[in-house]
Amino acid sequence: MSEQNVTLRVENVTKRFGDFAAVEDLSFDVKAGRVFGFLGPNGAGKTTTIRMIVGITAPDEGKIELFGKDFTGDLQNRIGYLPEERGLYKKMKIIDQLRYFAALKNVPQGEADKRIDFWLERMNLGEWKRKKTTDLSKGMQQKVQFISTVLHNPDLLILDEPFSGLDPINVEFLIDVISEFKTQDKTIIFSTHLMETAERLCSDILLINKSRKVVAGTLREVKQSYGKNLIALRADGGEKVLEDKTLIAKIVEHADEKELVLAENADAQILLKTLIENGASISKFEQIEPSLNDIFIERINETNA
Amino acid sequence: MRKFLAVVKHEYKKIVLKWTFLIGTLLFPFIAAMFAVVPAIIFSIKGEATRIVVLDRTNKIAPRLKANLSPERIAERAEKAAKESVKNLNASQEEKLKSGSEQLGESFIFADYDAGAKSIEQIRGELNGKITAAEIDAYLIVPPDFDNADAKFELFSRKAGDFIANDTLKDALNEAVRSQRLADANISEARLKELSRNVEFVARQVDEKGNEKDSDGLFFASLIIGMMIYITLAIYGNMIMGAVVEEKETRIAEILFSSAKPFELMMGKLVGVGLAGLTQLAIWIISALVLVGIGMAQLSASGVAVSIPNITPLMVIYFFIFFLLGFFIYASIFALIGSMVTSMQEGGQFAFPPVMILLIGFYFSFAVIRDPNSTLSFWISIAPFFAPITMPVRILAEMPPFWQILLAILINGAAITGLVWLASRVYRVGMLMYGKRATIPEVWKWIRQK
Repeated sequence: MSEQNVTLRVENVTKRFGDFAAVEDLSFDVKAGRVFGFLGPNGAGKTTTIRMIVGITAPDEGKIELFGKDFTGDLQNRIGYLPEERGLYKKMKIIDQLRYFAALKNVPQGEADKRIDFWLERMNLGEWKRKKTTDLSKGMQQKVQFISTVLHNPDLLILDEPFSGLDPINVEFLIDVISEFKTQDKTIIFSTHLMETAERLCSDILLINKSRKVVAGTLREVKQSYGKNLIALRADGGEKVLEDKTLIAKIVEHADEKELVLAENADAQILLKTLIENGASISKFEQIEPSLNDIFIERINETNA
Repeated sequence: MRKFLAVVKHEYKKIVLKWTFLIGTLLFPFIAAMFAVVPAIIFSIKGEATRIVVLDRTNKIAPRLKANLSPERIAERAEKAAKESVKNLNASQEEKLKSGSEQLGESFIFADYDAGAKSIEQIRGELNGKITAAEIDAYLIVPPDFDNADAKFELFSRKAGDFIANDTLKDALNEAVRSQRLADANISEARLKELSRNVEFVARQVDEKGNEKDSDGLFFASLIIGMMIYITLAIYGNMIMGAVVEEKETRIAEILFSSAKPFELMMGKLVGVGLAGLTQLAIWIISALVLVGIGMAQLSASGVAVSIPNITPLMVIYFFIFFLLGFFIYASIFALIGSMVTSMQEGGQFAFPPVMILLIGFYFSFAVIRDPNSTLSFWISIAPFFAPITMPVRILAEMPPFWQILLAILINGAAITGLVWLASRVYRVGMLMYGKRATIPEVWKWIRQK
């Protein structure tokens, strides 16, 4: 598979519940070997979209193509889905649950047992194999859940908030595993509220709000298209210049520096020149890209308005 | 298909490989036996012989009472009562206790006491003294005018609560007085015996082909079968609901639905749990057949006449068929309820109607046992929801024509098809709806959703 292979194509998909459209006319492609960040506020339609991708529900309109084919039940065996609302059988041994989930993905039992041992060891859960869910801590259960998602060695991994409930060490560990999948040219769709993690992991971004697409593209493109009007400034003097509304729209004070949002049509070079002319002593002047968090908040507020 | 089988295996193992299954399988017959046997055992522990003084100034009742309570007579009565009780397996607990006490042969030792010309108060004083000194246990005062309608026989006893002894005494006393009255009416002792002999009563059933058979054993067997199906359906229906609610509550449904079709998942669950129920029933039935066979053989060998209910392999096959029909009817209803609600408690409220229907079916089986060929029995044994209990009962009581059995299978098969379809529609949507219990209009919408 090359970088350009499309793993998932969502085409003009709409899903309604009664009069309410949970997803409306949504289209996007997810390419192989990439980590695709699927972002959006609560109730934006993320879970509904994911449920359609994994075949839990069918779209009312539009179509979903997986691995270049129209969706069929068999394709479910190539998807690993870690839902946000997670669950394991409470009173069942870990090994039995994992065997069952593997069987439901058509993994032969011998093969499943090998992979279960491998993953339990890798996740430091080897000695918990014959324990029941209720004997495990929340974090351990989380890891068991993750194992159940990857046991059948899926080509498409859909992770909905995979890090919630994990301590920082396990977060790093999971990130390693995800990166490994990426290098095996598998596709990962990653849904989260944690913009920092998304920024760190994702190569592509899709932001939806109110059932519709808001921002889409590679992380680079998205950030660059928003990255021209923010300046980090550390300076003494020149306060007068900062009050000029034709140059600066907004100032965010940080501990030892200021974040300036340029006014419309204002130019960073002119601002720098004006500051120096007004006797400011500048120790830092940097044009910065907005964080994904900033873009997220800005675009959501815009579309909500 | 492979996934369906994986679900079946999973559900089956989940139930059968648990301790509770083993315990339940072993314990149920044990508990059932306890209910039947324990009271009899407890009351068969003989009390000590009662030392009694009979104060009878007329000297008419005392000799007869002594004769009635002689060890030979008591043994005779006990044996007769034992035979009765074997036939009377379906007697109520009270009747069982009574017959138990009759089997006991409670013994009495008659103490001598010379009343002389003492006044009644004097006598009572002296006898009370003897009771306190533990020389005797009781004394009975026979009123001189015992023939009077309101004459009172008074028993003063150290252990007035020993109702078994009291009962034996009362029966013997009644008999003594009755025979004295008859003797007073100039009826000879021999004639008296003849007159007071009990009749022999044997109920024999005549089936359609004109064959006679005893009805007692059958009654009991049909009742047990009806009860077994009723209990198993209720238990396994609840298990289905529990399993569905668990998968919904823990959100496992989301993972399951992303791996297999909801219909496969639900049917796999029904079939897996159904097979577990079948396993348990098979264990019960096979061991019951073996035990009953042994028990009956032993009773016959010891001279007690019992008829072995004539259970043919065909009956057993029908029995399993109707159990499965019942299972799929009620299991699909319970699965439907499980996917509507958010917790077992809520499920319990919704489960009330189907459990009621099940119970009514069980009660109808009494009507079927009493008259297996009545119009009511016919309709009740082919009706959906009821037939799984009432038809096997009817088959045991009196084999109905084959077309009626076939009709019952077809009607209930059709009911299952409809219910499974309905349940799978609700299951597919309901399992992913968290947070609140669904209302009936919502469920209706889910059913019609494409």
